[in-house]
Amino acid sequence: MNTSVLDWLNLTAEKYSDKVAFTDSEKSITFSELNEVTKSVGTYLASVVTPGSPVAVMTGRHILTPACFLGIVRAGCFYAPMDATMPKPRLNQILSVIKAGFMLVDREHLDTARELDFDGTIIVMEDIINTPCDELLLEKALYNLNENSPLYVIFTSGSTGVPKGVITSHHSLMCYIDAVGEVLKVDDTDVFGSQSPLDYIAAVRDIYLPLKTGASTVIIPKNEFSMPTQLFETLNKNKVTALCWSVAGVELPAKLGAFDLIKPQYLKKVCFSGSVMPGRYLKIWQQALPEVMYVNQYGPTEATASCTYYVVDKEVDDDTVLPIGKPYKNYTVTLLNKDGTATEKGKTGEICVSGPILALGYYGNPEKTNESFVQNPLNKNYRELIYKTGDLGSINEDGLLEFHGRKDRQIKHMGHRIELGEIESVAKQVDNLLDCCALYYKEKELLYLFYTGSASSKDIVLHFRKILPAFMVPRKLVNLQELPTLPNGKTDMKALEAYFK
Amino acid sequence: MEELMEILGELRPDVDFENETALITDGVLDSFDIVALVAELNEAFDIEIKPNNLVPDNFNSVKAMMALIEQLQDE
Repeated sequence: MNTSVLDWLNLTAEKYSDKVAFTDSEKSITFSELNEVTKSVGTYLASVVTPGSPVAVMTGRHILTPACFLGIVRAGCFYAPMDATMPKPRLNQILSVIKAGFMLVDREHLDTARELDFDGTIIVMEDIINTPCDELLLEKALYNLNENSPLYVIFTSGSTGVPKGVITSHHSLMCYIDAVGEVLKVDDTDVFGSQSPLDYIAAVRDIYLPLKTGASTVIIPKNEFSMPTQLFETLNKNKVTALCWSVAGVELPAKLGAFDLIKPQYLKKVCFSGSVMPGRYLKIWQQALPEVMYVNQYGPTEATASCTYYVVDKEVDDDTVLPIGKPYKNYTVTLLNKDGTATEKGKTGEICVSGPILALGYYGNPEKTNESFVQNPLNKNYRELIYKTGDLGSINEDGLLEFHGRKDRQIKHMGHRIELGEIESVAKQVDNLLDCCALYYKEKELLYLFYTGSASSKDIVLHFRKILPAFMVPRKLVNLQELPTLPNGKTDMKALEAYFK
Repeated sequence: MEELMEILGELRPDVDFENETALITDGVLDSFDIVALVAELNEAFDIEIKPNNLVPDNFNSVKAMMALIEQLQDE
């Protein structure tokens, strides 16, 4: 039985020592080289960091980033990855939640790191990747590691304006990777093309499936997604067989007409998640690449990446809505009514998840943790935590789960979770903006901000760009004399939707 | 040119379009900006930007975008 992801790494490093694990636009690293770097990083860190502590990481889209993550794990610690392209206030918020004593950065991001509100020690990756390995020190660092020890903390949007850090254990992650690997039939001949930012939950497939199976991952440069033919050329050049992308990423080449010019020749499987896949774009993929297996995934970060899946078994139409399917191995999905009773078959209830894949909670936030991770109200006999996703679903006639949106104001946009309330709280910081309401125009995938006051739309967007990640910045700003209200005084969102165009 | 600058200014008011010459290569514009931009340009200039036009050289600067628009309008 495996205790940690390091058991996987140790095995693959031996079995596939000379096989390439990760490739980026410039370099490749084999499994044995990767293993060596993790030991060097681990040895250095173990000499300075107490096992069991968080270590912040801010490195680029390159092959050494997974090595940094795993080096931190070798030191008996867990990692909190940060995307250096995010605005500084966002990074500072993450640092204020995680309160790490150490931050691991690559030289490229050292200047950015120094500008952050961080009192701990900054360690430069390039300075430590050749540290001679001290096996005894590494062994000691893992004395107290068990399968429920945290592996990473990944941040998602929080409605109050402070991002929440979801803590995931080794065991949860290993359960998920095992389950998704089985469904996608991943083996050592597979090559993944990685789209996700490496600090984001979706990257766990690209990082850990190779570790478990001996497959490889090509880390695709972000700007290639703007130029779809170049993107497909990269897939072909690297003989990529498998994509685990956000729905937004899968849509891009279809939207931009890339298949008219070039097709990814080696692809065998495409799995997507993050939001609802529009039938019209999946149809374009299916027509261009009919032999490929398409898998729809659903799940929140709090239940380790994805909790249900559906292997698309027919050609879709423009208006096909895919079911989100059935639970992965080791995931239990229950639908609950508002009063805590079980939802009848065919009726809509809140999707709740339980099993060893539940996150350990929100870092440093017991209140939020206790609100979302609760005793299963259907179980009166023993302790069984469930995570209330806030998503609504129903079971259809085939016994498959269908998704029916949110019960609150959280949306999915470009593959990211966004609390509309967070956008509003940031907008209200702008001078001369009196009141506002953020809405999502789903059909056109546009974020709207309706506001009152004399602030210019330029000032507002500039403020957003300073504070929030790009995917959270509204594309359309509408200045109104006043916001329409309902009889109870709340903003009439339905009335505002009339402005969508 | 003015119309293009207006579209770009609205899309990304934080970017200095007059002086940037590596909008794509340096990742100033991301893939979602490009999807939005292509749709807007097609409509505003009555053109059809095809996948083979989507190369960094055509979008790295305002000048390059203008040249692409003019070329497509002539076709």
